[in-house]
Amino acid sequence: MNPSDLIGPSSSLGSPAPYWFLVFFKILGFVLHIIPMSLWYAGIILALLVRWKGGENGRIWSGRLMKQMPLLVALGVNFGIVPLLFTQVSYYQVFYPATILMAWFWLSVILLLTLAYYGVYIYAYGLKEGNSGLTPFRQAAAWIAAIFFIVIGFLFSNAFSLMTNLGGWPALAEKTGEAGAVLGTALNTGDSTLWARWLMMFGLALTTTGAYAYVDAGVFGRKESEKYRLWAGGFALKIYTLGAVWFALFGSWYVFGTWQEEVKATMFAMPLGILTVLTAVSPGLVWFCLWFFRKSVSKRAAFFVALTQLVVLSLNAVSRQIVQNLELGKFLDVTAEPVKMQLSPIVLFLLLFVFGIGVVVWMVRKVIAVETRPAAG
Amino acid sequence: MHYPWWYVPFLNAPMLIAVIAVLHVLVSHYAVGGGLFLAVETSFAYRTKNKSYLDYLRQHAWFFILITVVYGAITGVGIWWTIGLASPLATETLIHAFVFGWAMEYVFFVLEIVSAFIFYYYWGRLDAKTHTAIGWIYAGAAWISLVLITGITAFMLHPGSWLESKNFWAGFFNPQFVPQVFSRTGGSFLLASLYVYLHAAFKVKDSAMRDLIAARSARPALLGAILVVLGGVGWFVFLPASAKAALAAASTLNLMMALIFALTVAVFALLYFGPYRNPGWLTPGFAIVLFVLGLAAFSAGEFVREAVRKPFIVYNVVLGNQVLAEEVPVLRANGYLESGSWMRAHVAARFPQAIENGKINEARLLELPKENQIELGEMLFQYSCNNCHAPKNGFSAASHLMRGWTTEMIRTCSREPEKLHFFMPPWAGTPEESELLTQYLISIAPAHPAGMYFGDER
Repeated sequence: MNPSDLIGPSSSLGSPAPYWFLVFFKILGFVLHIIPMSLWYAGIILALLVRWKGGENGRIWSGRLMKQMPLLVALGVNFGIVPLLFTQVSYYQVFYPATILMAWFWLSVILLLTLAYYGVYIYAYGLKEGNSGLTPFRQAAAWIAAIFFIVIGFLFSNAFSLMTNLGGWPALAEKTGEAGAVLGTALNTGDSTLWARWLMMFGLALTTTGAYAYVDAGVFGRKESEKYRLWAGGFALKIYTLGAVWFALFGSWYVFGTWQEEVKATMFAMPLGILTVLTAVSPGLVWFCLWFFRKSVSKRAAFFVALTQLVVLSLNAVSRQIVQNLELGKFLDVTAEPVKMQLSPIVLFLLLFVFGIGVVVWMVRKVIAVETRPAAG
Repeated sequence: MHYPWWYVPFLNAPMLIAVIAVLHVLVSHYAVGGGLFLAVETSFAYRTKNKSYLDYLRQHAWFFILITVVYGAITGVGIWWTIGLASPLATETLIHAFVFGWAMEYVFFVLEIVSAFIFYYYWGRLDAKTHTAIGWIYAGAAWISLVLITGITAFMLHPGSWLESKNFWAGFFNPQFVPQVFSRTGGSFLLASLYVYLHAAFKVKDSAMRDLIAARSARPALLGAILVVLGGVGWFVFLPASAKAALAAASTLNLMMALIFALTVAVFALLYFGPYRNPGWLTPGFAIVLFVLGLAAFSAGEFVREAVRKPFIVYNVVLGNQVLAEEVPVLRANGYLESGSWMRAHVAARFPQAIENGKINEARLLELPKENQIELGEMLFQYSCNNCHAPKNGFSAASHLMRGWTTEMIRTCSREPEKLHFFMPPWAGTPEESELLTQYLISIAPAHPAGMYFGDER
């Protein structure tokens, strides 16, 4: 059977905006989402390990990150809405079938996320009370949260790899079906792309955690001791190195071991070859910044580190999007959807988007003013 | 039906939407009303320099964040998750029609999150004016997000002139929009007060402070109850005829409506005679009773709101069985199995002998052995009926509904379900497919209960 036969027709309502517009916001949203997401995905487990075996400075870093974690999770969840929203507009013909095939697992993300989020709060609340506050229950809650976030990452990798693995759909549907319907108990574990991407993304998340350790020490942790800040510079470099090596290892598996020939042919040829190379080597730039600035953790250096890591994540998001479209290309051309432009809602959305950024900036400036205000007396 | 159907044994997939939606609205309304409560009361406490009240409000803000930012936000995402799994065609339609409505709502979500965290974590560090302003930013953003999502959910009940124009604004400002904004805004005020009472009853030991909290939140709660009733009246007036008929016809809905009325009166009376007239009544026991009654009224209201749409998910656009209303004649001509991507694939894999020139030959399906016909009928049941009915046992199980039916009654129900019950979707397939469904239904229909005496010979 031709897997394309499983794809339903285009929506008669048409795409509400041109593909480039939707995909721009999808990628922008994904980049915004992946920053906090990386900090839960790799950061929580690292923070717990470092607290356990990382000495005094390690405990400070761990505590700082975990105190920020409730906000990071909230931001990550909200930023994740945008890419998912635009995925459902442009990729609905493959997104819904893939998630329905693994419905129970996909739905379990909600439960796991709720429990993990409360686990983070339980631990962060304990941190307020110092070492005595971190009771075995609170520590267990954090470990459970860390594991759940990794499982959630696995389930996301499942959904998004299954979305392009149309060839695997009929067998999964038959295997987990009942009377032609599906039970929603399939996983894409037979597809090596899943494993390679999941592990590669963990490496990328480690690099973001490393970069964030530096940014935190340089920007938010300026009231910490010089000794800690210096330690944080070195620690960030170590974590980044580990993440970059991990990313290179599993990224190689992903690219050379799972990409189909037509994907390789396009991504290794000009002009996209440049993007592929830049995506692969870009963590080196952040690594160099971290190495160069490791002994002078400053606001300016933190800005460079943040900016270069943002470039790394953006390059990854753009490359991933192109690869996803190439993988789907033989079944479906997502860019060919007829457009029935919703101009006035788009304009209002853009105006509100700018307004929203303005209000957020105003609020953040008020916070910065408080943070930088000299202590009374 | 262009997507695979998710079979959830015993329950059915769309019931999961109802469960998660109810769990969500009980908190999402508090997220709106509670934000307004915090903004208004913090301004009041600063103005009157009431430090103890400010201390209480800070405690409440923490409770508010733990409930709304975590549970409220994630169950909100949960609804989205579930509708995509259980009603993919309706979700596809809504997303295509209103993606920028959701995108706008997202902007306000971000404002809510950022302002909520700053409001709580910088309590006492920001000056009063800035702190209050941030509280109001939260309240404003939360209410606008309520308005935005109400435009979309109200559309599902009555798309109004969107059906002709397919215009975003025609759909958004549908006939149900204003009534539902009224009732949801009122519901937010009311629920917020009930959460405040519950929290204060357990946390505040000082009776003077508890009295102040009881008195301050009574007026918004009563106003909320009035708005809910006004919105409810508007909701009823602007219901499509089929929804009004469903309200009159379905005994479950009759009961639910009576329950909503009784609970609303009870909540209103308790609020009036309790916190409004006698603030000292606010004890943990009283707060729990009020809270439970309020949640019960809300849950019943949400259930009715969902149920009256039958047989549609989006009125006159998407039917409950994941078929576009406009597609029905085409499906009747071309075949339900042939037109459904996943069903066609299953038939081709399982019964290749029924395929002719790449298409399903429906006549050949009726030549298959009986057990295969029943098997195909079961698939037709899954895709066409399981959105409302479990097969043998479970929620509104078809077998129990057909207990004791004659073959002809079952056949009529398969061919013209919408004539038997107007709140059922029409049969969207060929007569041959209807016959396959009939075979399956006959196989699961139990006999008339034994031992019933109607005056005839024993």
